[in-house]
Amino acid sequence: MSGNESHASTDGGTNVYEDSFIPYVNAWGRRTNLLAVALSFGPAVVLLTVFDIAPPTEAVTSAFVAVAATYGIFWFIEPISYYPVLGIPGTYMAFLSGNISNLRLPCAAAAQESADVQTGTSEGSIISTIAIAASIGVNTTLLGVGAFALVSAFQALPELWRTALGSYLVPAVFGAIFAQFGRDYPKVAGVGFVLALAMTMLLEGGFLGFLPGYPLYVVIIVSVFGTILVARWMWENGMLEPPEES
Amino acid sequence: MLSLASTPAYLDVANSHWLWLSTLPVVLVVLLQASIFLRRAWSDGKEMGLSEEQLRSGFKTGVISAIGPAVAVLVGMLALIATVGGPVAWMRLSVIGSVAFELPAAELGVSQFGYSLGDENISETAYATAVWTMTLGGTGWLLFSAFGTPHMEKLRQKMGNGREKLIPVISSAAMLGAFAYFLTGEVAAGTPETGSVATGGIVMLILLRIADERDVQWLREWALGTAMIVGLVVGVALQVTVGSWW
Repeated sequence: MSGNESHASTDGGTNVYEDSFIPYVNAWGRRTNLLAVALSFGPAVVLLTVFDIAPPTEAVTSAFVAVAATYGIFWFIEPISYYPVLGIPGTYMAFLSGNISNLRLPCAAAAQESADVQTGTSEGSIISTIAIAASIGVNTTLLGVGAFALVSAFQALPELWRTALGSYLVPAVFGAIFAQFGRDYPKVAGVGFVLALAMTMLLEGGFLGFLPGYPLYVVIIVSVFGTILVARWMWENGMLEPPEES
Repeated sequence: MLSLASTPAYLDVANSHWLWLSTLPVVLVVLLQASIFLRRAWSDGKEMGLSEEQLRSGFKTGVISAIGPAVAVLVGMLALIATVGGPVAWMRLSVIGSVAFELPAAELGVSQFGYSLGDENISETAYATAVWTMTLGGTGWLLFSAFGTPHMEKLRQKMGNGREKLIPVISSAAMLGAFAYFLTGEVAAGTPETGSVATGGIVMLILLRIADERDVQWLREWALGTAMIVGLVVGVALQVTVGSWW
C-alpha cells in the first residue's frame, strides 16, 4: 500500500540497512558467536572440574579428527551455501542456534512470503531476522519444557506416531518451501530438482567414490551453486521473468 | 521411563543439577543475540519503510512455522536425552547443533572406548569424551560464521555479477538448490517420505494460490504449518497402507 509512494525513500531505506543495521549486526554477531564458543564448553568443563572426569587427550583428539573428517567441510560449505537466503544477520543467528534446514530456513522463507518482501533484498533480510528470532524463542522454550516435562508424554505416544513425527514432518516442510519458491521460478525449480536428484543418485550408486571422504558435500555444492549458475545464465538469456507483483 | 530399570550410571552425572547449570549461560547467549537482533531489525525495518503489519506478520509466521519443526526436534531429542542426558541434549539442540550431527558425534566419542550409544555400561570417561567431541565439533560452524559472515556479501555480489536485479534471482535459486538437495535425500529414503514431500508442496501451492486470489493474510501465515501437518498425515497413511517400495 505504501509501496507506491515510498519509491523515493528506497535509497534511504538501503542506507539505513547498509550504514546502520549491518555494522551493528556484524559487531554484535561476532561478539555473541565467539562468546557462545567459549560458553559451549560449560558442560565439558563442569565434568572436568566438578566431577573430576578427564577424558584422555588421545581419545578426544582421535574422536575430533573423525568428526572433522566427516563434517569439517560443512563448517564452510553450509554458511556459504545458505548465506544468500539467510543474509548477514540470519547467518549469525542460524549457525549459533542450529537446526537450519528444518527450522530456520523454512521460518525465514515463510515469513518473507507472508510479509510480501523479496528474498535477497534488504527488506527480506529484516523480515528473516525477525522470523528467525521468533523461531529461536519458540524452539528454546519448547525444548526446555520438553527436556524437563514432555519426555514421558512422548514415550507414551504409540510407536507409529513417534516415528511419524520424527520422519514425515520435515520432508513436508522441505516440499512446501521448495514449492513456495518454485511458484516464482518454476524453471529454476526444475533445474534444481534435476541437479539434486542426479547428484543424489550418483552418490547412492557409489559413482562419486573417487572423491575424498564421504562426498555428500559435492551434492550440496552442485545443487546450490549449479542451480545459481544455471539461473543466472537463464536470466541473462531472457528465459526468466520476475515474479508477478501480487 | 522405558529404560528406568537399567539406567546406566553415567546418566546420574549427565542429568545432575551441575550439568543443567553449565548449559544455561550458552543458551542465554542465543536468546540474548536473538532479542538484540530482533529489536534492531524492528526499529531499522520501520525506518526502511516496512509497515508495522509486515513486521508483525513476519514475527507471527516465524512463531507459527517454528512450532511443528520444534516438536519434531523434540522427538529427535528423545534419542539424545536417553544417551547424553537432558541438559546436554537441550543445550546441543537449542544451540549450534542438530540431531543429525550430535548423535554421530557422540557415537564417535564413546566409540573410542569400544562402546556404542545405548550400551548400558558406558563409562563416565567415555561419556565425557562424547561431550568434548560434540563441543569441539560444533565450534567449526560458530567460528566460521563469526569471522566469515562479513565477507560473504562479496561472494554473493560476485555471483550476481554486480547487477542489482539479479540478486533476488540468485537468492531464490540458492534456496531452490538447497531445498532440492534436502528433499531428494527424503525422496531417496522411501515412499512415505516422498509422499510427504509431494503433499507438503501441493498443499503449499494450493494455500498460497487461495491466499493470493482472495488476499487472505492469515492463510499465508498458516500455510507452512498446515502443509507440514497434512504432509505428516499422508506420510503415516502411506507407511500404514503401502509401506515403502524402495
